[in-house]
Amino acid sequence: MRVNPNPLPDLLAALNQTQLDAQEASLQIATGRSVNEPSDNPTAAALLVVNNDQATFNAGYLQSLTAVQGQLSTADSTLSSVTTALQQALSLGVEAGGGTLSASDQAAIVTQLQGIQTQLLSLANVSYQGNYVFAGTDTSTAPFVSGTSPSGIVYVGNTDVNQVSIGGGYNLAVNLPGSQLFSTSGSDVFLAMTNLIQAVQTNTGIPAAVNAVTTASSYLSAQRVFYGNAIDQAQSQTTYLNTAKLQISQQQTTLGGADLAAAATNLAQSQTDTQAALAAISKFSQDNLFDYLQ
Amino acid sequence: MSGLFGTLSIALSSLGVSQDEMATTSNNVANANTPGYSREVSDVAAGDPIEQGSLSVGTGVILQKIESLRDPILEIQLNQSTQQNSQLNTTLAQLQTLQTQFASSTSGLGADISDFFNSLEQLAPDPTNLELRQSVLTAAGNLATDFNTASNSLQTQRSNIDLNVTQSVGQVNALTSQIASINQQIGNLTNAGQNPGTLVDTQTNLIRQLSSLVGVSVIPTDEGISVALSNGTTLVSGSQSFALTTQLGTDGVQHIYSDSQDITGALTGGSLAGLIQVRDQEIPGVGSDLDQLAAGLASGLNTANQAGFDLNGNAGTNLFVPPPVGGVGAAGALAVNITDPSRLAASSDGTSGSNGNLAVLSSVATQPLANGETPINSYSSIVFQVGNDTSNVSADADASGLILQQLQDQRGSVSGVSLDEEASNLIQYQTAYQAAARVVSSVNALLADAVNLGLGAAVQ
Repeated sequence: MRVNPNPLPDLLAALNQTQLDAQEASLQIATGRSVNEPSDNPTAAALLVVNNDQATFNAGYLQSLTAVQGQLSTADSTLSSVTTALQQALSLGVEAGGGTLSASDQAAIVTQLQGIQTQLLSLANVSYQGNYVFAGTDTSTAPFVSGTSPSGIVYVGNTDVNQVSIGGGYNLAVNLPGSQLFSTSGSDVFLAMTNLIQAVQTNTGIPAAVNAVTTASSYLSAQRVFYGNAIDQAQSQTTYLNTAKLQISQQQTTLGGADLAAAATNLAQSQTDTQAALAAISKFSQDNLFDYLQ
Repeated sequence: MSGLFGTLSIALSSLGVSQDEMATTSNNVANANTPGYSREVSDVAAGDPIEQGSLSVGTGVILQKIESLRDPILEIQLNQSTQQNSQLNTTLAQLQTLQTQFASSTSGLGADISDFFNSLEQLAPDPTNLELRQSVLTAAGNLATDFNTASNSLQTQRSNIDLNVTQSVGQVNALTSQIASINQQIGNLTNAGQNPGTLVDTQTNLIRQLSSLVGVSVIPTDEGISVALSNGTTLVSGSQSFALTTQLGTDGVQHIYSDSQDITGALTGGSLAGLIQVRDQEIPGVGSDLDQLAAGLASGLNTANQAGFDLNGNAGTNLFVPPPVGGVGAAGALAVNITDPSRLAASSDGTSGSNGNLAVLSSVATQPLANGETPINSYSSIVFQVGNDTSNVSADADASGLILQQLQDQRGSVSGVSLDEEASNLIQYQTAYQAAARVVSSVNALLADAVNLGLGAAVQ
């Protein structure tokens, strides 16, 4: 068969191809990614969008947990202070009920108990970053104020609970309403304290009043477990999310990361091919029979 | 006729034919690099013999014709391959432009969607925080802006393609008019019994150029060739060409007409079909997907925001300007409706500290839109679709490029000028000419001998 006398277009096409290969390999090395445009690997490109979504949310959940942990710790340590104050009130009540104190000593104890009552009120109205922690979701106003009730203190917050997503489909409840902690019927901290103060003042029924404070204190301690659990859950979820972060990052590399060794090899190979194509083109001279005619 | 004068006549025919053959060779060498040129060969034959009694005496050589060597089937295949290759390459170039805005997984629309929903999560632990609320509005603004940008660049690309379509139609008309005029010239030459070889080459080359623009079929007729589009619309018939026209359609792009018939959708092959495919199918498809996504997000988030209460305890309003009914143009028109961060309805119970409605807003991220997919998966599907289309067309274009290259090699092997071959022919023709000249000189000597027959001295 007669050969095509002009192979130059074929050689140029080959040169173009080797240069394209070199460009692709260089791009992979420069960006560190094998998927630089969707057509490089449509499936991976689509999955990388989802992967980025997961990475964004994972980082977001970690940030939420940090924010939540501050709030939870504040609540927990506040409740710890409340328990301590109640223990102090109990000791004072027991001392007053011993029947050996003078009237002035009793009066001093009343003053101390009133101080504790004030302290408890301020603890119940604790705020974190400007928001009242024990107000339910009505966090902009102090939840416990003076008012008409047996204890003289009324709860003006609400009973709502905020949830925060922490990843993996979990929601973390981040607050207990103050009414549930401090003014549950039968375990009302303020009523128990008011009654104790009154009992010491009148020196009647002190043991019963002390018992009521004990009950309220125990109840409060039991409720405080909620915050302990929430902090634990936040911590374990943080650990989980940090592990997930590594996995997501690993997946991103698997999906779209360049195999640098392979890319470097491809680059070297395509450069060799380019040299070969150039050599072939330069050797394709206009050397023909006419040159030999005299 | 025989004798010395007969011999002289034969030698003269040889001299003439050798000159013609050398002219043919010279023309081949001259056109060695002319695009579309088919090498010519001289078709020579022995002259009719003369009967002399029982003898049959030759009368020299005659040049019957100068023939261009080409394979008509190969030319048809080349036209078809050019049409396909040109269409695929044009589509590919446009899709590669289209896919650039979907190239990054860590920025652009996909990341905007993730960032927006993540900003809601960030607000959940501290729903009264104005900075965090502002972050949500900023993320919503970024989302809207990037939807607008994506929609605009689709529009821009579509307008550019549209301009290209109009220009291509102009080129098609110019080519068909030239082809028709060459038809006439070829007809004239053929009628006069002459070889139209190079004109046919020029015409073939024009048809090749036409094929790169639009799919046509070429039918030989009594008046040369007729050229028709794949749907049968005649572009060239004999010496007449029929121009295509463009007219702005109701869809805002140029439609192509033959007479009064809209043939836009009927075009196949060539860059025009590629341009029209991207302009009328790919871009509107992606645009519609973006519109549906933008509309779904905006409607879902508006409903969610309306379900809650803002920082001041007022019922929530639309977070985004409500998308157009049906969603058409939603991506281009997407805009955030509220500017005051306190207007974000995070609360589900009317108190400022409640974050209950943020969960409702967030749930838009995980609920299926009208297409049955979540927002981020919808976007991911668009990325896959654009990438996959580009990748497929790229593979097809590569394959068709190889086929075209092979066909061109085959054409070269049939019609290409080989300088070696021409040199070898030249030697042959030169030698023949020299030999014939020698015959003339011998006959001359013999004639002198005959004239001086019987004389002592030869005539010099």
